Amino acid sequence: MPPGADTPEMERHQNSVTRTPLNSVVVQRRSKSKSYRLSYRSCLGATSRLCFTPALTARRLNTSRRAPKSHNITEKVNPEKLALLVKTEWQLSYVSPLYQFRHTQLKSYSRQLSAFIAAEKQQGLAVEVEGPQKTFRVSFSLVQGMAESDDDAETVLIQIHSKPLFARQDEPQRPVWSGWLTCINGNPDYLRSLPKDFICLPLFGSSGAEALTTLVKSWFQQFFDCCFGPLEISHTCLQWLMALWTNCHTESSIQHLKMIWTLPVVPPLQVTYTVNSEDAWELWSSVRKEKEKENKAGEMAKDEEENSIDIEEVTGFMQGLKSHFYRHFRLDLSAGSLDQVSTALGSAKYKGRIKISNSRYMITTLTLLTECALLKMPI
Amino acid sequence: MDTSNKRLIQRLMSRIPIKMLRTTLGKWGRLTEVQLKSMNLTQSKWALTEKLIAICEENELEVKHLTELEMIYIIDNPNQGMWHTFQLMDPEDDAQSVELTQFKEQFKSHIRELVRQVSVKMKKHTDEAVWIRIAWGDAFSRPNHLKPTYVVHHLQTPYVFVTSLTAKQKPLLSQALVLSTRHQAIKDANLSGRKLTAIRDLMMRQYQQVFPTKYPSPLTEHNPTVSNPHIGREQAEPAANRLQMACEAFGGGMLPQLQSAVYKLETKFRDQTNKTMTEREEPFKCVVKFASTNLLESLRNCASSGIASTPVTPLLSSIPLKGRNYFVITDNGPGPSSKTDQPQN
Amino acid sequence: MSVLNPFSKLPGLNTANILLVESEEQFQQSLADALVEETAATVNVRLAKSLPLPLENEEDRPRIDLVAFIINLTSELSFQSAEASLKFLDPGYFLGKVCFMVTNARNTAVPTERLDAVRKLAASLHCPLLFAEDQTPDGVTNATERLLSILKVAAGLVPMTTALYLSSLTRCTVPPDIDQPSFD
Repeated sequence: MPPGADTPEMERHQNSVTRTPLNSVVVQRRSKSKSYRLSYRSCLGATSRLCFTPALTARRLNTSRRAPKSHNITEKVNPEKLALLVKTEWQLSYVSPLYQFRHTQLKSYSRQLSAFIAAEKQQGLAVEVEGPQKTFRVSFSLVQGMAESDDDAETVLIQIHSKPLFARQDEPQRPVWSGWLTCINGNPDYLRSLPKDFICLPLFGSSGAEALTTLVKSWFQQFFDCCFGPLEISHTCLQWLMALWTNCHTESSIQHLKMIWTLPVVPPLQVTYTVNSEDAWELWSSVRKEKEKENKAGEMAKDEEENSIDIEEVTGFMQGLKSHFYRHFRLDLSAGSLDQVSTALGSAKYKGRIKISNSRYMITTLTLLTECALLKMPI
Repeated sequence: MDTSNKRLIQRLMSRIPIKMLRTTLGKWGRLTEVQLKSMNLTQSKWALTEKLIAICEENELEVKHLTELEMIYIIDNPNQGMWHTFQLMDPEDDAQSVELTQFKEQFKSHIRELVRQVSVKMKKHTDEAVWIRIAWGDAFSRPNHLKPTYVVHHLQTPYVFVTSLTAKQKPLLSQALVLSTRHQAIKDANLSGRKLTAIRDLMMRQYQQVFPTKYPSPLTEHNPTVSNPHIGREQAEPAANRLQMACEAFGGGMLPQLQSAVYKLETKFRDQTNKTMTEREEPFKCVVKFASTNLLESLRNCASSGIASTPVTPLLSSIPLKGRNYFVITDNGPGPSSKTDQPQN
Repeated sequence: MSVLNPFSKLPGLNTANILLVESEEQFQQSLADALVEETAATVNVRLAKSLPLPLENEEDRPRIDLVAFIINLTSELSFQSAEASLKFLDPGYFLGKVCFMVTNARNTAVPTERLDAVRKLAASLHCPLLFAEDQTPDGVTNATERLLSILKVAAGLVPMTTALYLSSLTRCTVPPDIDQPSFD
């Protein structure tokens, strides 16, 4: 167990600020980025009294985003690397900007993290020194071509290989843990406001033993003076994913649209609502059409807007699904919480777990998640 | 002792928890007092299994004895695996007079006519239920005792509860049951769950039912009445009404522990705000599954707390009313109120 | 349909009456139990799931000095129900005799849009917005204290101040850039 591994992430961050060699940089950053003066969480802290709401800057998810286009990502990104990213369920975290992280030094990071894990493991195994030494081989690699805009830093993939405890000598090492750090379509204002030495890769996904995740995180915290925090996928974000995935149906079948709700009764009631893909798509396109009509009436329709999806359409879609449910069961799903959504293109859980099953729409999903992660940035 | 018997013992031992081992073995009665005492329960499962195999060899116990042990354990712990319900239909005139010995003989002879290689064991439980264990084989193989089917039937009732039955075995079992209970047909009752006791209670209405009454029922009095004179509940009456209606729909007190209910909806999409979808001819296809540790209690709470509107929709109240938890819902005629549910088969 | 009126009845001596409206009827019970413990004045609590209130209680219902809407942010229904109830209040209540109390604001499942909606609602009606924690006894005590301090003013038990005056200080305001998206 690394020292202080169970202290909350935020506390750790505060500690790390004091340890920062360039304390002035932090202060400077604060004043530099105008629209990021207060994070959402600190605004809650400020309002927990009688709510003399100060004029704080609220930051919210986008209310409109471009319809997902099928990216032929395989042309840009090495398919082998891509295969490692899809079809795995990742536990998401947000990461504050990394101090002095260099994409050119991945080889030396691999060595250092291996050594770090070995050292930490030995600490924990003080009693059974004679046991077969379990060695971990870490490899950092670049996933080139994932970045969408010029401001995005390139995605980094981390893999840890190890031999099973009672393996034969000649048995090859197997991957036991993998993770990645990415930034897709990050807000250029925010990214440009960072001082030169900071690299922003706000989205961290991990899959594998919890203990290794903790070790990797603490290594990053120590080496790049950053902090990690859990990234939940909120109700709105889950609704967005539902709509974005359903919108792809004509190009790539979603097969089904599944939602899992939990209703707060005793004992808790779980409702799994699975909609036929064709019907889900027709409902979605009917909601889209309604909006187009409105737009045309108001002569608002521009070429750009036609390809964008608004939050009103997303909530309208959800409303349609809920009202169909209510008509049969006279049970209001609004009273409960949406825990999980899934289609053949991927699945997302409120607890911050995501699985992307089709690489063609990976960029859209990661863009949304990057946005969520950036909202969590402590400033 | 051959390997298949050894595997049967291993399988049994892995299922029986250590703390239940002594009582189960005691009930079995095939071990001498000394042998029973020699089973040291502080030992590992593996060691105990080896010990039991040795004792069985020593006592020259056979398959039929081992299956007896399995039945004793299953009868005491029926809440394992998925139980499905079947309902016997169209009784013959003499159906009511079928008694145990006759049923036993008839069932065994009928099933042996249908399948050559089959091993049937029957046991009457204290609560009047007949437990049947069937190990199936086929033309080329001997009965497989590792995957037996269990059937529970209460004589003189139309209900049959079955677990681990494959689609291939279903017609065979159905025919044997229909003939030996003097009925003409059997159908799937569309009720399944992990707790045998729960689905049995639901089928046989063995739970507290609440009926509409114009007199204040004891339920309303149980309602958390205002303890403090300074606290007044404005809507105490509607709340009591909701509770009453919830209990009328799902029953009062402790309810049978059903885990899930599934609805396959193939109905038209109707929503005044969405003209395109409402005008569409095809049904909107979806599947809704409700799941909870105690589904009926959850649903009752939904209705009493107002999350589900009262009066409770027939769709939900059909679960206890019809004793089913699988429904296919289709539009039947024009009006939105004339939905009917049809069995799947 | 009856509209609740703040001045249709006479006040009681050293008495303050509060109406707690909550669609889930969870938090209101513990709040009520804590509110009636107040010794400085007699506090009467009326509990409701939603408005309008039933006509048959009209007689024995005291004059309501403060209406508090409790909104659980994890439930969309909770907000919708409160919003629908508002129209059964006489406009006179919005001169300092209504407040909103939200719970679960820190829950990560809550979309920020929902808190924004409550905030906008409270601001448009010039009402204060309180944040409360309903899971711990401390949270209940704090929420009770806050409600009591507003209630006492609303009931006219505090000399030299009025509900209208207090509300001009405590009402919720909406930050000008609440709708500003994080991206272009």
